[in-house]
Amino acid sequence: MPMLTPSEFTLRVAGGVLLWIGMAGCWNIMSGYTGYIDFGPVVYFGLGSYATAIAMTKYGLPFVPSALLSGVVAALVALPIGIPTLHLKGAYFAIATFAFAETMKQVCLEFDRTFGVSFFEGSHGITLPISGHDNTFFFYCLLPVTLAVLLVHYGIERSKFGYGLKAIHEAESAAEIAGVNTTGIKLRAYVTSAFFLGIFGGIEAYWITYITPDSAFNVHNTVQMVIMTLLGGMGTLLGPIVGAALLTIIYEVLGTAFVEYYLVMVGVIIIAIILVMPRGIVGTLKERMGLRFI
Amino acid sequence: MVLLECDNVTKNFGALSAVHTVSFALNRGEALGMIGPNGAGKSTLFNCIIGLYRPTQGRIVFNGRDVTGMKPHQICRLGMAKTSQTVEPFRAMTVFENVLVAALHGGQMRMAEAARETAEVLEFVGLEDQSDKLSGDISVPARRRLELAKALATRAQVLLLDENMAGLNPNEIDEALDLLRKIRESGKSMIVVEHIMRAVMGIADRIVVLNYGAKIAEGKPSEVVNDPQVVEAYLGSKGVSLAHESDGRGND
Repeated sequence: MPMLTPSEFTLRVAGGVLLWIGMAGCWNIMSGYTGYIDFGPVVYFGLGSYATAIAMTKYGLPFVPSALLSGVVAALVALPIGIPTLHLKGAYFAIATFAFAETMKQVCLEFDRTFGVSFFEGSHGITLPISGHDNTFFFYCLLPVTLAVLLVHYGIERSKFGYGLKAIHEAESAAEIAGVNTTGIKLRAYVTSAFFLGIFGGIEAYWITYITPDSAFNVHNTVQMVIMTLLGGMGTLLGPIVGAALLTIIYEVLGTAFVEYYLVMVGVIIIAIILVMPRGIVGTLKERMGLRFI
Repeated sequence: MVLLECDNVTKNFGALSAVHTVSFALNRGEALGMIGPNGAGKSTLFNCIIGLYRPTQGRIVFNGRDVTGMKPHQICRLGMAKTSQTVEPFRAMTVFENVLVAALHGGQMRMAEAARETAEVLEFVGLEDQSDKLSGDISVPARRRLELAKALATRAQVLLLDENMAGLNPNEIDEALDLLRKIRESGKSMIVVEHIMRAVMGIADRIVVLNYGAKIAEGKPSEVVNDPQVVEAYLGSKGVSLAHESDGRGND
């Protein structure tokens, strides 16, 4: 373990906050605005991690193009997956997306053994080239991507696309007969979300330098995205920012102070907030104060 | 001139034939009434025309173009809009935003144009003073008008009105009829499904009668209400003339 200077520690936490704001934001673009609960977004994060790892180790590509390629790979996978699954409603959509994420994890685990190749490296995982970069570097890698995700949110709030998403959330067949191309709009949201998740996966893989199918496709990441967005407020601009920042900082602070039982404390805090503010912090404030575009 | 034509449209749900070889035409500028007892297949037929259901058999031709099997948003953009029997506003949105969605997507307008169109339509239907209210918070008659406003904002040529007056009292029905006449004068064609005879009589040029999924009569309102088959469908074989059944109550 290298010694962390205070500023390095702060930057690591700040990088984590940025990463989670961005990832929660990705989930919010799709699920928060349309109400379609995606329970497998981690699949695009994981595919992004693997795309970057493979591009850098097997093809010698530099980091930045690898990370962008990860976004493209994730989006290209999201397209054929989105078309059939986005016809499913409610729990069926959640189950299908969850199942797809687990499937991809198994593919990464078993592909090499099955086909006798050396590509995903199975359960051994892939070690990425050691970057030698400090946390400052990763902070500045994450910053533009997270800002881009937030820009998409800002665009959603007052655009044709955004009104389409919200109409789908409220009453899908009424949206259809009002001329909303529901399948097209849902697919756009799904692919956009996958694109950015892919980039985040790529950056994170290079940051932690070692990935396995279990870490890259860990359902815990999905749960985090969902909880952060619910905590902040689904379908709001500021919800993912508030939820992700709050929860990441709570993890860091309590995790350092109460190593043994901080998770119990986090759980209690989440339950308390949701009981008092059932539509999330931002969602509930919006409702009580009659605010609209935040 | 024929604007919309249904040619032998059939819709089966399993063994049940909800709509059975129904053919009719709607002329440009016409208001066609469509009546029939509960379960006669009126809403199913509407849903076939608007693309929510794909007909089992038959063709739907709009403006000379076969639209059978097209998606609802495509049909909407071609120029047909439906108001639903069960009003489903986008509740978390304001009245203005509800209509804006239709103008943006159905009318395929840009934001500034859609906003202008929305303001005009809201004034036209008399909802301009409620435009900033959440659509879940407005009264039933206002919701019916909102449905009309959404349909109008798509700039549809044909409006399919599925019991747009259900749940209204006699005064409100009069107001709704005035509004429908105003819409007609603006050059729209419409098909009006309604249980309330007075409402259909007050607006329709011609009436199509459905019973058990089949068309049993078609003609001028005065002819249709005296048609023995129609009277029987509505009131049983010993029925009296439907022309007398003209209070404001729907039967559901």
